[in-house]
Amino acid sequence: MKTWTTGFARSAAVVAVFSPVCAVWAGAAGLVWWWFANPWTWIAVAVIAFPVLVAVSRPVARWARALIAGWTGEAMPDARREPPPVVRMSTGFWWNGYGYHDSERDALMDRRMRMRWSDPATWRDLLFAVVAPLTVGLVAAVPPAGVVVAAVAFALGAPVVGAVALVVAVLSAPFAWRAVPPVAVPLLRPSPAAALAERVEELTAQRADATVAQAAEIRRIERDLHDGAQARLVALGISLATVEKLMATDPGRAMEVLREARKGAATSLSELRELVRGVNPPVLSERGLVDAVRALALERPLEVVVRAADIARPETPVESALYFGVAELLTNAAKHGRADKVVITIERTGKDVVVTVSDDGRGGAEVRPGGGLDGLRRRLAVFDGVLEITGPSSARMAVPCGS
Amino acid sequence: MRILIAEDLYLLRDGLCRLLEAYGHEIVATATTGPETLAALLEHRPEVSVVDVRMPPAQSDEGLRAALAARKEVPGLPVLILSQHVERLYAGELLADGGRGVGYFLKESVFDADQFVDALERVAAGGTAMDPAVITRLLSTGDGPRRLAGLTGREHEVLALMAEGLSNQAIGRRLFLSESAIGKYTTSMFGKLGLTDDEEGNRRVLAVLRYLNG
Repeated sequence: MKTWTTGFARSAAVVAVFSPVCAVWAGAAGLVWWWFANPWTWIAVAVIAFPVLVAVSRPVARWARALIAGWTGEAMPDARREPPPVVRMSTGFWWNGYGYHDSERDALMDRRMRMRWSDPATWRDLLFAVVAPLTVGLVAAVPPAGVVVAAVAFALGAPVVGAVALVVAVLSAPFAWRAVPPVAVPLLRPSPAAALAERVEELTAQRADATVAQAAEIRRIERDLHDGAQARLVALGISLATVEKLMATDPGRAMEVLREARKGAATSLSELRELVRGVNPPVLSERGLVDAVRALALERPLEVVVRAADIARPETPVESALYFGVAELLTNAAKHGRADKVVITIERTGKDVVVTVSDDGRGGAEVRPGGGLDGLRRRLAVFDGVLEITGPSSARMAVPCGS
Repeated sequence: MRILIAEDLYLLRDGLCRLLEAYGHEIVATATTGPETLAALLEHRPEVSVVDVRMPPAQSDEGLRAALAARKEVPGLPVLILSQHVERLYAGELLADGGRGVGYFLKESVFDADQFVDALERVAAGGTAMDPAVITRLLSTGDGPRRLAGLTGREHEVLALMAEGLSNQAIGRRLFLSESAIGKYTTSMFGKLGLTDDEEGNRRVLAVLRYLNG
């Protein structure tokens, strides 16, 4: 029943999306029929219908993209070109990237026309608006049409026709809409050049993000060394100098200072160890992601269950990004979500290594700009990985990697 | 001596206090941030102060800036700057306002406590004290070496010790030479560097460092 209703709704949605195109065709046909005088009429009608069709194709394609993205999850950018800016030159004329104009309005209008004709996206949308309704559009129209025909037939007293139409509608409903995506997607998808341009933009942004993140990381390490190990060594030296001075005058006090100095040396060693672990945990390089996450889980004051499939080790940087991702999410679960129990799964899905972290806390995880999760998202993005907040208190990291 | 210590890291502040107390000095105040340092310097007017370059709030050169600001208010207020690394620029800024009662030391040089306390006393008396490591660095980087190319090895040694803030007598002791021999070296050295010798230790250092800093 559910597949039938969804199928019927989707077919109806396709019909609705394509209806403006059908209206244009119907209008043109009506014009021809009403105006029919000689074969030249066809040309006149085509001249009128063509710009209308171009105008209609854009929203139709946009709606179709939204529909298909909703069904299959395949997001298709419309990849329109950025219009060149309109600027006023020192001569007083307006330059719109193509030519000079007397007023800003003229320049904007001219730019809009030129952009429309020169942008491959326009022709792609037009092709879609011409081809799709006449092919898959007709297929998808079968269930709604069947219902309409049945209703009319029953009303006019032709129950056999009505019954047949109803049966056709019912039987075709779960399948009719499925014809749409395979045909529509190749038509709607941006050209390879446009997709490449988009990708370049994305990579540029990622590179900038990565540089910023890396600089912050280096600064943190420098700060930790300066305030930590380096300062402790200096303090140790000063203590020893003090002892040297006190040895003759006040041996008891000298002993006390020495004892503290020894403790200080031990602390600085453990601080250095912490720092090294923060940069690259030894267990991660020795045993890989799964064991490193298990080791991480052991240290947390939470009940952490690690479910891991036996996966091949990803590349070292990917491993490191995922490891620190888990650490960040665990910290979040304890700090913000006030969780007691956390479940971590590590598995391989297709080409992706997928790590999910979910807890029993009150949740509230969100990716805020500049926040910890935002930093994690950026770190994963460098490897084309994604961070998804899949529920109030669960997150999923997926990073594609090799084989 | 009445000493002020400005250092944000507890361990070092504590260590310095104990060390100086072991030498029989009095710590009149401690400060942990740049603004605090400036206020304390102006309030207590210590005989000498030990100021860390890097302090909160910005963890940049807060300490140095507080010291410079205080010396602008109270000219010649004795300040010894402590730093974790040698920075040519900082030494230059310190010396720029006349060079009386200033010092620039690396933190590890505090380990040689006798030398450090000595330097503090020199600064308190209005002299200059430069860490030997700072001097070596200043003499060996930038265009210093080129300008000093004409000096003999011995003159180079004398210049370095002079830059630390030592008097001719003290330099003579270090190099096992008589004071008058050192006098000859300095005269010939100043001749080669094109500086006039006015017999005042402090200004000699200044002249040398200014020359090095261009």
